[in-house]
Amino acid sequence: MNIFLILMALSAGAYFIAVLEGWTVHRRFSLSRPLYSALAFFGRESVLTRKNDLVFFEAGPVLLLVAGVLAAAVIPLAPGLIITDLATGALFLNAALAYVLVALIMAGWGPDGAYAMIGGWRFLGQFIAYAMLIVMPITAVAMRAESLSTTVIVESQEQLWNVFYQPIGFVLFFVAALGLAWLPPLDLPTAAGDLAGGVEAEYTGARLAVLRLARMVIILVMAGATVTFYFGGWLSPGFAASLPDWAWSGIKILIVTAVMLTAGRHVPRVREARYLAVSWKLGISLALSNIFLVGVIALVVPI
Amino acid sequence: MMKVAVMQGARTGAMNGLRRLVAAAMAQDLTALVVPGPDVARASGLDLAGAGLRLAATPRHASVLLILGPLPKGLRDAATVAYAQMPRPRAILALDAGDLASLPVADVTGDLSQAGLIRALTQLRELVKAGAFGADIVDFDAPALQVRIEFTCPMHPEVIRDEPGACPKCGMTLVPRETAVGGHDGHASAGHGATASHGSEDAAEGQSSLGHGISAQNNRGNHADDHGGHGGHGGHGDQGRHAALPLASHSDAHKHRTAKPPYSCPMHPEVVSDTPGNCPKCGMTLVKPGADAAEHRHGGHGHGGHSPHDGHGKADHAEHDAHKHEAHKHEAPSHDGHGHSGHGHSSHGQDDKAVVQYTCPMHPEVVSDTPGNCPKCGMTLVEAGSSSGDDHGAHAAATYTCPMHPEVVSDAPGSCPKCGMFLVEVEPAAADDPGGHDEHSAHGAHSEHGGHGGHGTAAEQIDGIEPGFMSMVDLTKDMPVSPDGLKMEWIDVPFGPFFPGLPGGLGLSLTLDGDTVAAAQAQGLAGTALELPEHGMAPAEFSDSLAAQTPLSPVAMGQLVSLALQNAAGVGIADDLATAHVAAVERERICSHLGWIATFAGQSGLIALERRAGKLQLALRKASTNEIARQSGAVTKLLRKVQRTPMLRSKLVSIGRFDDASPFSGPVARAAGIATDARQDDPLYQRLGFSLISGSEGDAMARLTLRCDEIIQSFGLIARAGTLSLPQSSGFDAVSAHGSAVVETPRGAATLSLRLDGGKITEASLVTPSAALLARVGDLTHQMELADALVAVASLDLDPWGAPA
Repeated sequence: MNIFLILMALSAGAYFIAVLEGWTVHRRFSLSRPLYSALAFFGRESVLTRKNDLVFFEAGPVLLLVAGVLAAAVIPLAPGLIITDLATGALFLNAALAYVLVALIMAGWGPDGAYAMIGGWRFLGQFIAYAMLIVMPITAVAMRAESLSTTVIVESQEQLWNVFYQPIGFVLFFVAALGLAWLPPLDLPTAAGDLAGGVEAEYTGARLAVLRLARMVIILVMAGATVTFYFGGWLSPGFAASLPDWAWSGIKILIVTAVMLTAGRHVPRVREARYLAVSWKLGISLALSNIFLVGVIALVVPI
Repeated sequence: MMKVAVMQGARTGAMNGLRRLVAAAMAQDLTALVVPGPDVARASGLDLAGAGLRLAATPRHASVLLILGPLPKGLRDAATVAYAQMPRPRAILALDAGDLASLPVADVTGDLSQAGLIRALTQLRELVKAGAFGADIVDFDAPALQVRIEFTCPMHPEVIRDEPGACPKCGMTLVPRETAVGGHDGHASAGHGATASHGSEDAAEGQSSLGHGISAQNNRGNHADDHGGHGGHGGHGDQGRHAALPLASHSDAHKHRTAKPPYSCPMHPEVVSDTPGNCPKCGMTLVKPGADAAEHRHGGHGHGGHSPHDGHGKADHAEHDAHKHEAHKHEAPSHDGHGHSGHGHSSHGQDDKAVVQYTCPMHPEVVSDTPGNCPKCGMTLVEAGSSSGDDHGAHAAATYTCPMHPEVVSDAPGSCPKCGMFLVEVEPAAADDPGGHDEHSAHGAHSEHGGHGGHGTAAEQIDGIEPGFMSMVDLTKDMPVSPDGLKMEWIDVPFGPFFPGLPGGLGLSLTLDGDTVAAAQAQGLAGTALELPEHGMAPAEFSDSLAAQTPLSPVAMGQLVSLALQNAAGVGIADDLATAHVAAVERERICSHLGWIATFAGQSGLIALERRAGKLQLALRKASTNEIARQSGAVTKLLRKVQRTPMLRSKLVSIGRFDDASPFSGPVARAAGIATDARQDDPLYQRLGFSLISGSEGDAMARLTLRCDEIIQSFGLIARAGTLSLPQSSGFDAVSAHGSAVVETPRGAATLSLRLDGGKITEASLVTPSAALLARVGDLTHQMELADALVAVASLDLDPWGAPA
């Protein structure tokens, strides 16, 4: 039942993203266009490139979707409304998201096109930039909760949301999440202006539909993780407590998704070398000081 | 039954209920690939987004091929390839495009205007709704899509035959590859860059063949199912595995080969030093190879030190192999042949053994009479001596061999001449078998597998790991070395002529070493040479045709013709009229710079800016002086915002700088501090208070700043001019004279000289600013990261229309 509910929530979220992307990218607010587009995918040919690596070409988008859905399994929408409440949930999330890299490289390699291939390898570089900045802020979050379980992490924020408790960690995690979901300005693997679609460039028809859907799921998962780790998950913000728990989760996730989709539209695509340099030189030092600070605060002021 | 119109590019299948629904959805979801490009659409006054069209970044994501205006031949062929790459159902919408030649007849046609576009789109939606699926669809074919199969030797790229067979040089079986029919017409059929459409193998023939569009042909053929015959374009063979042509010779890779310096890098054998220290390429501590190893690496085979193999390309191999074969009468097709020099070949020419033996490709000492797996590594045993057996029947006498170089066999103990390792004793049973040659037969199959010459010492010293197994040094040693020391396969990738981040019609071809640009070539595919009929052309007609050929700056061209004619005839026009013409040129400069900002923003992912700049360009395109004055506030505000965009500086600063004071003109020159502007000495401009703007840095950021400043300056000039009218080129009957003029177009000074003969233009020659810049794209992008290189090229604001290819 939970699985069904969460899959429904994911589909609703994907629709929301499609509407929002139509608005931010094309400046057209249309509730029906995403439905037409989705249907149209199945009418178009799904072209198989000639010298493809068929296994990678087919498996890439599917693996991406699987990785996204697996990661969604540990995101709680309400107490009990979670596919599996693992004791190591936060770690599991990381493990599932590691496959995003694998899937993207496979999808880039599979079609045997230069743009896709470069896009896939670019994401490998991007992974090196964001990977530590996903893990290290989560470490600090888990330190406060004294647990890796995502539900316990949410409950640990009863007094004060982590976004206020460890703002440095939040900023780092949010930017890393943009990188993981390859959203602008970190959309290096699928850059339209640089790579004509990159990893997506050779996919058409139903395969492209799977790839795009998988990407939306990844965005939703990252928004869900941000809400779980930093915005107190289903906890109400103190006022207007009349809404059910799942609604709070939904609202928060949609708001974070909207911010993720629009935040990067007003800055140019980041140069890969600079992204790596900033992530390591600045990001990791900040992440370490965040862990230290949270450790000190957790010892001194018990909230 | 009523006959239903079916799209030419429909999918096969009868219309049924579900398909009707899907077709209706597809009619609402039109995504266009714009030919020549969105920049031309804006310059022609089309608001594509306003008409409900989404733009595709690659033909793969497009359902409509939108053709604007007549296309030059080069672009037509490229458009044909792009069309073939689009998934069905696909449509062609042609606005005033005339003859499409190799493309199928357009599904819908219309006028090149916003109203025409909207009308055509309505028709197209109806057509898609009704005819997205058809029972019998005729596949389209075009010469641009034809490929020819030719055969070439994997080792000797210069060997090309029409028939399969063996290489006359090394006897290897020739492998098939595809090329475009009718030779390599450069980028003509490069299609959309997006699709890596060139056959990588072609790279072996040199840069002239970059990016031809063999790939597209596969859209022909059965399209009964989704995959049918679409194989598309992905002709980038094996991820460019064969494309690793060393375009620039890396002579430095060879330079230390013959010396015997004591220290070298385990990863970069070419790094050698007389003193201990760290490798300048990778920072590893330099190691002291054994004296014998040095010996091995640096000669001893009479090949002048081929052993490490790094950095020398196929041409080198050719030579190398020729040498080898002559010297040893040896037909094994692998790279490593050094070991055969005199060792253990006493039995050459003996009868081949009747018994088939199997051996492990990795462990030559494993020999078996029956097929199976290697007891050491589990690999499938391969038949020994099957391909090279005749020559290498047996090494009966061999009792010692090198653990690293199985081809080295000796009947006495000692050290390997290649790597200096101690030779190990081979058991008599194994020694009877063609041990060493198994390696050949196995390796011969993959021509890419290099020899064993250059094992890094690091790999050799790790216990438990088969020497050379997955060794980076081994895997990459035949690849060209780039200055950063990383060896990678080089691939040639076309960017354009319909690449989203570059001006439409610009054919940029990059040779990529990883994501670093190793070489670049740019071509204006849209440019057509000025051609005049025998009896000359009337001035007005000439002016119109020149303007049509240069859709990005037609007004400046009109002004150029008009001024050249006035100079020829020796007549002038009234000052206020001349000022009005200047205002028209300045208005075009504003629009052109705004259009450049839109393209540039699109490339950088600044979607909002792209949209806004494009909108303003459209609004100002035909605006009156009053309207321009009204818009100037909005434009100024936008430009200020552009320059304040966060993180823009770090993306643009020091990108795209020319390292010398080149004879350029226009914003590129002025941004580098070169005070050159044709407007400077023009009395009309002086009266309007023109003063030259220049920058100093000469990078992409300086160009952006300069263009923003020039837009604001042009607003001032138009305001002071007060009136605006387009330059005309009529009259001049019965004048016979020479005349020339220079006009500062938005991209720099253009010069036109023409000859009037009885009121007709009989000769004309045009020099445009983009030609000089196009030739320098290679230097500009050398060794830049791909994204930076594209920023650099885009920052030049090249005009593919003004420079005949």
